[in-house]
Amino acid sequence: MDARLEELSFAYGERTVLDVPSLDFALGRVTALLGPNGSGKSTLLRLLAALEQPQAGRVLIGGEDARMARSSVAYAFQEAVFVSGSLRANLDLALRLRGLAAPERESRLAEAAEACGVAELLERPASRLSGGEAQRANLARTLALRAPLTLLDEPLAGFDEPGRQTLLEELPALLRRFATTTIVVTHDRDEALRLADDVVVLRAGRVSAAGSKRAVFAAPPDPDTAAFLGYTLLRTDLGLVGVAPGALRPGPGDFTVELCVEEVIDLVTKVELVGTVAGQRLAVSVDRSLPAPGDRVTLGAPASATVQFSTRSRR
Amino acid sequence: MSELWDGLREALRLIATGDRELFAIAGRTLLVSGTATALAMFVGVPLGYLLGRARFPARTLILATVSTGMGMPPVVAGLVIWLLLVRSGPFGGLELIYTKQAMIIAQFVIATPLVIAFTAASIQALPPRLPDLLRVLGAGRLRTLWLLSREAHLGLLAAVMAGFGAVVSEVGASLAVGGNLAGDTRVLTTAIVTETSRADTERAIAYGLVLLAMAFAIVAVLTVVQQRQPR
Repeated sequence: MDARLEELSFAYGERTVLDVPSLDFALGRVTALLGPNGSGKSTLLRLLAALEQPQAGRVLIGGEDARMARSSVAYAFQEAVFVSGSLRANLDLALRLRGLAAPERESRLAEAAEACGVAELLERPASRLSGGEAQRANLARTLALRAPLTLLDEPLAGFDEPGRQTLLEELPALLRRFATTTIVVTHDRDEALRLADDVVVLRAGRVSAAGSKRAVFAAPPDPDTAAFLGYTLLRTDLGLVGVAPGALRPGPGDFTVELCVEEVIDLVTKVELVGTVAGQRLAVSVDRSLPAPGDRVTLGAPASATVQFSTRSRR
Repeated sequence: MSELWDGLREALRLIATGDRELFAIAGRTLLVSGTATALAMFVGVPLGYLLGRARFPARTLILATVSTGMGMPPVVAGLVIWLLLVRSGPFGGLELIYTKQAMIIAQFVIATPLVIAFTAASIQALPPRLPDLLRVLGAGRLRTLWLLSREAHLGLLAAVMAGFGAVVSEVGASLAVGGNLAGDTRVLTTAIVTETSRADTERAIAYGLVLLAMAFAIVAVLTVVQQRQPR
């Protein structure tokens, strides 16, 4: 089911939290809502779930007002919340509240629990699940609903690093299997790239970029968005230039700069060179360490990985 | 010491032989205090839920007022209700003074702040996102209220026990607005006062034992319900 925001404005008291003239979430696509803390990502999910009402504008799900479409939405909060009782009772309650009959509930519950790796935990009191287990259980409860619109708020929060990596690898397949249109909130660029087809970048309650992830990452509209997407911003004679993450390599390129190396950090699998380019601090990862502190290294990037901004575009 | 044993023996005889007056007073006590507690729950639980969940400017002031009400001496509550219901008072025309209804009103005033405060505390102790979760899952208002109450059942049953415990054991308000009329508004606590002043220790002890047994039985049942683990 598709979702659409029209002329949307939402404020907490005097403070405007979201101001979105128009935004579409296409049917069957996974969209990452990307933005720094406080940019309005979670509020946008709450509006889609009809937990908040906008002061102006409309939130439409499948062409219907979000308040009328609650049964079409599944929403996993960032913090896993459960009622007392076993995990099975929690999953069953969610399906019961959607009006499903017992045999259907049982099969959906078992399938989602198995797929999310919590089948062994079904009889355990939900209050005794560890952080990672609770997050997986939270995901299982959401996916078991097989809702036309699935909302995931930071689904990888609360995991240790190995757990996060594992779920990050599993999640795309889980979404393909259990979800249709999905909106994932994250502040992590790599998560967005791995999980999503489309990306919406929110900054201070406004959409600064939206589109397919390739289009958004290839052409950030302004320096702030570029910086958030991981671009390295350099002031040059040409103006402000953004270089895509990982694009600067030792050796000349279409865009070339000279780095005065101040520090060489050994990260075992790679080496990070820290230094300055025309007085601006820069850190670049390279495969092996040739230079030493005090050396000057030529770094280059292909034209396709650079974006030039007019000096007035920085807000 | 022998007076105490004699009293206990006589009290047990009165209970065992089903003394009519004793059981009439016990029944009246249950009726008055049970009704007052039920009314306090009916009014106090929604108010406590509101105070626990909603955020509005006067909330803290109201919570402080309710907490003060928890410590209100019953005799003061009785005095206020007496002033309101006495023939020359603003509600004197209702002719409720020295009736069971007046006692229920006074006990309701005593129990309600307890119920509100316990309910508010138990609702506040729930995960803040739980009501949102239930709404998102599709629970309507009533179902959400029911599921939240189930989650807060420890606190809500504590509210019943605190409310009932406070009113079944109070004597000041019942004396003030009920008048301790034999066969009409006399309840176990006022009966104990009466029998003690008459030096009828056996009856006073019998009433005391029944009061304790009644309070224990009700609180025990509620505790069993409270401590049952939900599936």
